[in-house]
Amino acid sequence: MRLLLMALIIAMAAGLAYAILSLPAESAGLSVYTTENIAISGVTNPVTAVLLNYRAYDTFLELGVLLLALLGVWSLGSTATASQRPSAPGPVLDNLARVLVPILIVVAGYLFWAGAYIPGGAFQAGAVLGAAGVLLILAGWRINHRLVGLPLRISLVLGLVVFAVVGTLFMLTDRQFLEFPPQYAGVLILLIEGLATLSIGIALAALFLGADPEEDDN
Amino acid sequence: MNLIFDTHWVMMLILLPLFGAVACFLWSRQAVTLGLITAVSVLLSVIALTLQVLEQGTLRYAVGGWGAPLGIDLYVDGLSLLMLIVTAVVGVAISVYSSAYFKPGKAKHYWPLWMFLWAALNSLFLSADIFNLYVTLELMGLAAVALVALSGSASALAAAMRYLLISLLGSLFYLMGVALLYHAYGTVDIALLAQQVESSPAVWAAIGLMVTGLLLKIALFPLHFWLPAAHSSAPAPVSALLSALVVKASFYILLRLWLDVFPEANLALSYLLGLLGASAIIWGGIQALYQTRLKLLIAYSTVMQIGYLFLAFPLASIIGWKAVFYLLLSHAIAKTAMFMAAGNILFYGGHDQIADLDRVAQRLPITLTAFGLAGISLMGLPPSGGFIAKWLLLEAIILSGQWWWAIILIAGGLLTGAYVFKVIGFAFTQAEVPHEPRMVPKRMEWVTLTVAVLAIMLGFMAPQLLALMDLGAPFGETMS
Repeated sequence: MRLLLMALIIAMAAGLAYAILSLPAESAGLSVYTTENIAISGVTNPVTAVLLNYRAYDTFLELGVLLLALLGVWSLGSTATASQRPSAPGPVLDNLARVLVPILIVVAGYLFWAGAYIPGGAFQAGAVLGAAGVLLILAGWRINHRLVGLPLRISLVLGLVVFAVVGTLFMLTDRQFLEFPPQYAGVLILLIEGLATLSIGIALAALFLGADPEEDDN
Repeated sequence: MNLIFDTHWVMMLILLPLFGAVACFLWSRQAVTLGLITAVSVLLSVIALTLQVLEQGTLRYAVGGWGAPLGIDLYVDGLSLLMLIVTAVVGVAISVYSSAYFKPGKAKHYWPLWMFLWAALNSLFLSADIFNLYVTLELMGLAAVALVALSGSASALAAAMRYLLISLLGSLFYLMGVALLYHAYGTVDIALLAQQVESSPAVWAAIGLMVTGLLLKIALFPLHFWLPAAHSSAPAPVSALLSALVVKASFYILLRLWLDVFPEANLALSYLLGLLGASAIIWGGIQALYQTRLKLLIAYSTVMQIGYLFLAFPLASIIGWKAVFYLLLSHAIAKTAMFMAAGNILFYGGHDQIADLDRVAQRLPITLTAFGLAGISLMGLPPSGGFIAKWLLLEAIILSGQWWWAIILIAGGLLTGAYVFKVIGFAFTQAEVPHEPRMVPKRMEWVTLTVAVLAIMLGFMAPQLLALMDLGAPFGETMS
């Protein structure tokens, strides 16, 4: 049985390899169209142009996927027993966090800003911001009680909601959903990416926390 | 400006449930009210979209204004429209049912997840872009997994975990296929791909990968192993959503790809799919007969009904496709009613052992009537929707001359009859162990009956539904 399975997998791998090798090594894909329209996309980095303008709808839904992942984890209930041990960080972790967190925040800001013309952007910046959050949590920091309920939730949905609202606003002026007028595209992408960075970073850190802090309070 | 004809209903169908999800998440105390408002507004939008499409014909919507191949297109024809309609009908019924089913502690998690699932389904049915379809598959899969885990029991968590892994594996297979097609043809738009695709090793690999990935998600025999546990351990309204809509969504993608992108897919593969479908009918039917728990029985019945959908592949005729699509719609409605009925019984007695149903017939007459009506549609007895579907399928089989599929069709009908009557039989007998009953909210019983009646009514809507399916000729041009 195991041999049969092995043979099947090897046959599949060989078939796939053959199919891939049969393709031309270089494929133009859509790079021609991407470059042709870059001037009216609002940014100069083609990857950002694809993610935030040409195929912004995909990115919009991906922000939904991230929020949904967090909702899924939160729906599993409280982790009060598992991860709420009052962690006493050693002096190394404590000092490292003090040094690294400000640097990480600056790096996240840079990555977000740089995305307009070189590789970077909201997801990368959000990941770095999320890492800063994880480090803070490891070092024993907990979010302020007053911020736990609605304020935290608003910050989590901000990226998605502003994306949708901006997209919808132009729908009212005879354009399609997410069709940015070229003269404002740059500013709008900056706005969406900035808030998305924030939401992604907070969502990733919240995923690390494992449960709704509001629920853990009770 | 004409409100109905000029509004972007296509986008509204995606944005409304998404905003609904966010609203339910932010104001979880009002989640039930917000969810119900969203459900009704989605239903109204679907009606408006239907009027719009009936007036103006098929609709292509370029999100972001770029248009394929650079941007993402949405597309509405008869196929997507009917999927949206059935989703909205089931969605409103499930929303009403859930408003009474969940306790507040669960409701605040349930509503945002369900609204997200609805947004994912709508965007999936509207998409005309194979990469965008992947994103919607992910959205749908994650929401479905979280909903399965919602009941919180150990078996539900295990089933949800397995479901998550299977769902991700299926998505990965699908994504690899997308990558191959994009590299070969430089576009991910279904319509553009349809014009360019020709037989080549890369296309064959893509077909193999995408079909396998989707079959995993559809749970076609023998890849159905994860479905009974996941569908039966979820809360009742979630079971209904999974069986009625979520597996159908993956089937919808397969159907689209098969009809448009893989039109010359070879005969052997279509026969293989037909054969797997036939095995699913027999195997699922026999397994359903052996089950001692009602929800597991219904879950195996889903495994079986999925099999029918694949009988159209070897037939490859317009009437065959229409028959299975009709079956898909009527199964969605009937299975919703059936899982709701099971939910009522479980709510009432605290268990769903078939042998101990203990005179449910007298205690929950509305629920049992609904169960019986849904059973009639599943068996394919006239005048239900299931009857029309199986009648059309039989016609397609006879026209194709492949008579052996007819034996499977009849055997499947008999097996369904056997397990439906098994349940109804026990519902009338006295159980040995009486149990503590809990009152079922009236709302849950009546909405179950309404959906079940609708499953029968589908049989009377054949002319309208078949005409809608022709819109945009998704199954090819009819020769006349």
